[in-house]
Amino acid sequence: MNRIDLNKIKNWIFLLAFLFSANPVFASEEVKGLVVDQKGRPVPFASVIFSDGKGTVADAEGAFTFESQPQNQNIKISALGFETVDYSINQKDGVIRIEMKEAVSELSEVVVTGNFGMETVKNSVYQVRSIDKLTIQNRAANNIQEVLNTELGIRFSQDNALGTSNLEMMGMSGQNVKILLDGVPIVGRQGVSNEVNINQIDINTIEKIEIIEGPMSVVYGADALAGVINIITKNPKQRSGYSIQTRLQEETVGQSYSPMAGAGNHIRNVSGTYTFEKPWKIGGGFTQNRFGGWKGNHSGRQFEWLPRDQDMGNFFVGTSVKGFDIDYALDILSETISSFGPENRLEVIDRNFITTRWMHRLNGKWDWTPTFKLSWQGAYTDYRRETETWVTNVRTNETNLSAAPGSQAGIAYQGFTWRMIGQWLLSPKLSLQPGIDINTERGSGERISENEGIQDYAAFLTGEWSPSDRIKIRPGIRKAYNSAYQAPPVIPSLNTKFVLSPVLDLRLSYARGFRAPSIRELYFDFFDASHSIMGNPNLRAETSHSFNGSLNFQQEENQGGFFKKTVLSGFYNDVSDKISFGIDPADPRITTLFNLDSYRTAGLMLNQSFIHHNFSGEIGISRIGRYNMLSAEQTTIPEMLFTTEINTTLTYLISVIETHVNLFYKWTGALPGFEMATDGNGNQVPREIRLEGFHWMDLTFRKQLGDNLSINFGARNLLDVTTILSTSAGGSAHGGGPQRPMGYGRSYFLGLTYQLSK
Amino acid sequence: MNRLKLPMLGFTALVLAVGMISCGPKEDPIVELPPAEEGFIEINGGGATFPNMVFVNLRKEEQLAVGRKKWDLAFHTGSDFKVLINGTTGALAYETTSSDINTVGEALAAPLRTSGELELTFTNLRSILYADNAQNPLSNPVIKPVSATDGENKVYILNRGSSGTEARPWKKIRLLRKDGKYVLQHADITATTFTSVEITKNPNLNLVYFSFEEGVVSVEPEKQNWDFVWTAGTSVIPFGQAVNGTLAYFFQDLVYHNIYGGVSVVQVLESDIAYDNFTEQNIASLTLNSDNRLTIGSSWRGGGGPNSAPSIRIDRYYILKDVNGNHYKVRFLSLTKDGERGRPSFEYALVKAG
Repeated sequence: MNRIDLNKIKNWIFLLAFLFSANPVFASEEVKGLVVDQKGRPVPFASVIFSDGKGTVADAEGAFTFESQPQNQNIKISALGFETVDYSINQKDGVIRIEMKEAVSELSEVVVTGNFGMETVKNSVYQVRSIDKLTIQNRAANNIQEVLNTELGIRFSQDNALGTSNLEMMGMSGQNVKILLDGVPIVGRQGVSNEVNINQIDINTIEKIEIIEGPMSVVYGADALAGVINIITKNPKQRSGYSIQTRLQEETVGQSYSPMAGAGNHIRNVSGTYTFEKPWKIGGGFTQNRFGGWKGNHSGRQFEWLPRDQDMGNFFVGTSVKGFDIDYALDILSETISSFGPENRLEVIDRNFITTRWMHRLNGKWDWTPTFKLSWQGAYTDYRRETETWVTNVRTNETNLSAAPGSQAGIAYQGFTWRMIGQWLLSPKLSLQPGIDINTERGSGERISENEGIQDYAAFLTGEWSPSDRIKIRPGIRKAYNSAYQAPPVIPSLNTKFVLSPVLDLRLSYARGFRAPSIRELYFDFFDASHSIMGNPNLRAETSHSFNGSLNFQQEENQGGFFKKTVLSGFYNDVSDKISFGIDPADPRITTLFNLDSYRTAGLMLNQSFIHHNFSGEIGISRIGRYNMLSAEQTTIPEMLFTTEINTTLTYLISVIETHVNLFYKWTGALPGFEMATDGNGNQVPREIRLEGFHWMDLTFRKQLGDNLSINFGARNLLDVTTILSTSAGGSAHGGGPQRPMGYGRSYFLGLTYQLSK
Repeated sequence: MNRLKLPMLGFTALVLAVGMISCGPKEDPIVELPPAEEGFIEINGGGATFPNMVFVNLRKEEQLAVGRKKWDLAFHTGSDFKVLINGTTGALAYETTSSDINTVGEALAAPLRTSGELELTFTNLRSILYADNAQNPLSNPVIKPVSATDGENKVYILNRGSSGTEARPWKKIRLLRKDGKYVLQHADITATTFTSVEITKNPNLNLVYFSFEEGVVSVEPEKQNWDFVWTAGTSVIPFGQAVNGTLAYFFQDLVYHNIYGGVSVVQVLESDIAYDNFTEQNIASLTLNSDNRLTIGSSWRGGGGPNSAPSIRIDRYYILKDVNGNHYKVRFLSLTKDGERGRPSFEYALVKAG
């Protein structure tokens, strides 16, 4: 890979000067070469390194020349994104043609988020956490939540009234986490990229998950104050052939289970791809998730965790002609969550929440010239969520759709995204990435006031400059126009990476982030006898200053196959104009939203991973602080409140029986907070509250049976967590009460996966 | 509901009637049908916006629906001089220091308007100071008992309430006594003149109801002829950050029994005595009350919340004793009719005839 060993600038100057002077006296001694990729296209700016460490560099057309000397008979050719090639010059006639292989074989070491195409983890200027396919397989997860729930800095909260879950990252709510599917924002119940229920994505289509902390606002735009979670989907392989996968998994939900249907968790998936000789490839898949719900403390009709049926289909077709790649992907979700109402003596009322989402994507890449490439990601999403209310008269057993106003409600969003990025290699040290990003969104439905939608047009420019091979500097700037709210004038960012030693990398970054007010915040109105809540169409974006840093220590495999990696990272975010509820000064009966508050988060994380023979593992610790909003008025209480988290993943391969044993564990420390309360004398005083900490542990086994079949079994939530306690007095008339749902108890699963490919 | 007028029935007649009841219904000279043995009533609350208050008479199996915003003030007909504001629209009243209605105007009201202090919203943590007592309003009304000394009667700024109804302009009012009657001075908050109305106590009623637009209006039936009223209205929830740790909060599906008419109620849990097994013999063990109209209140339903839908509580029912001494067991069946809130239903059965 791109391990250019030329660290002396004078060599570069000398060699470049040499290249351009091309002295004809030595023409007979000159070696001429051309660097191309596997498709025969030129690879620009490849480094050609001699055995003495000196060398030359190919031009934009992939051509290079140098004077033949005894010390440069063996050369090493390397270029970004390709595997390094060793070459011995034993002929003098003709032009040497060096074919380079794209370095994408080990996908887990490659990241795509924030980069143009793929980049190795080590070279990327972004600190990326990635969860690879193997980990997802080892967890035998049903949904993404079951993969991310032991990640540091991520916590989930359940909304059991609606049967959904919300995610919080780095001390910030889900509104500040941008969930992307192959770089494209996902639409959920609250609009585009806003508190997206991450479990509405088919886990079986996922290749890996990349997590980047800090706002990547320049490229990805709004709503990533805390970070980006980019879900990368599987792609048919390049060479011709087919692949088929089927998966069948049965799981208990706590103690409840019935085979194949009803109680428990039932997952079925079938998918396949076919790559033609040239130039087409197609793929498709279908997944059924049947979650039977969990009664918990309810004895009657009601469920604490609502039953959920998901059907998800996907289709893919792609083609590639002369440097022009284009593919279309369709992902369809159909979900029904059933909320059974409580026993009543006369009428029982049940509700179904029915979500359908059609997401069309058009991705493409065009290698225009060896030095200029273009890629684009387009998506159109149609999201609908209907609420059906059914009334059953217990005495007559008649069931009817409810006639009550608002009982049959719907909400619909249409989101469109078009992002186009150019990659322009100006020199081996400098590349520019200009781009445009268009996002439009419309929302309509129950309680959303009439609106024109939101249109956001942005242009951005990033550049990567490497003054030496030890330093990478990547500044960026984004300028946007938004139709609905006042967009921040200019969004800058600066990412840097320094190679302190061959095993030690330092990354420092600054970014300005912003969170756009959502359609609901702008236009959602709710009135009843005791509430008057309105959206505020005059909201501005929340903005943040975000600082991130990380230090990576990575030892190559050396002492007896021992590999280890240490990552220390930290962040600080300062958010202003935070959107909060307040009383409308024009009409004190109305509660609405304002850019009222400020907020801060800060944190440190340490992660240690190692691989030794059949044993691999990872252990991490984080301490994340959240700003205590009450401290603005109450000076006696701390400004920042910290929470500790510890996680570990251990995997051991028992080679004799070809079985992987995996342990996933996370301790989420107590979440402290303050609320105002009345003391004995009737005075308002701050009172410390806390949300109890909890331990989460999964133990899984995966055994290969022959070449094509593997079997998964194990236990999730081994420590039988159901609820955690909050000491908050409630805070509102509808406070969640002291018990917050976390899990549905210890569950066991057994799954089979069959894979066949040729 | 009982629309029969009983004009001769005065206070003395009431005493007489109560005396008769103790002698048994057969000797009651008033022509009255025997009490209903059992019943099922779908309350005509008007639907999801809860526009009505509905008075229920169990022994006659009757209901009377009246618009919540039909009235503004209610004048006690007892020996004292107490005036209630309309909690069923979320009205709030603020006592000024002035005893001259013409000196009170927008200048005084403006700070209350901008601060939201005189609005019943869930964000107003001081609203409890401006509402009548929720359990027994006459025991602690926000408007102080009307004094015989005019100078002690201050002007009140009245927000007529906009809970579940449209907002109306604020009023200023002042109450006085004259010859055993009430005198109400009232005007729009911005007016420089006022209207003066005399209100006569009607002993057939617990309260005489008054509307700024229509004058004295008929709201509740004669005090012997209703047992409870279903309505939306101002109640309270404990809330640490609010004044006195109590937040005035607008509830739907409240049931007040007729405490001033002498109806008494107690809650019984199914786990103690099942509804079906409850008989006359079980009455003796119970203590019924007629000083807390929230005894049924909202206890018959779960309000719902983030993790639960509103529902009736099937673990309880109520024993109600009417003014004739009839004991009924009452259990609520549904919060809804065809799924629509504001149309609850209940059933009841006579346990012991009075």
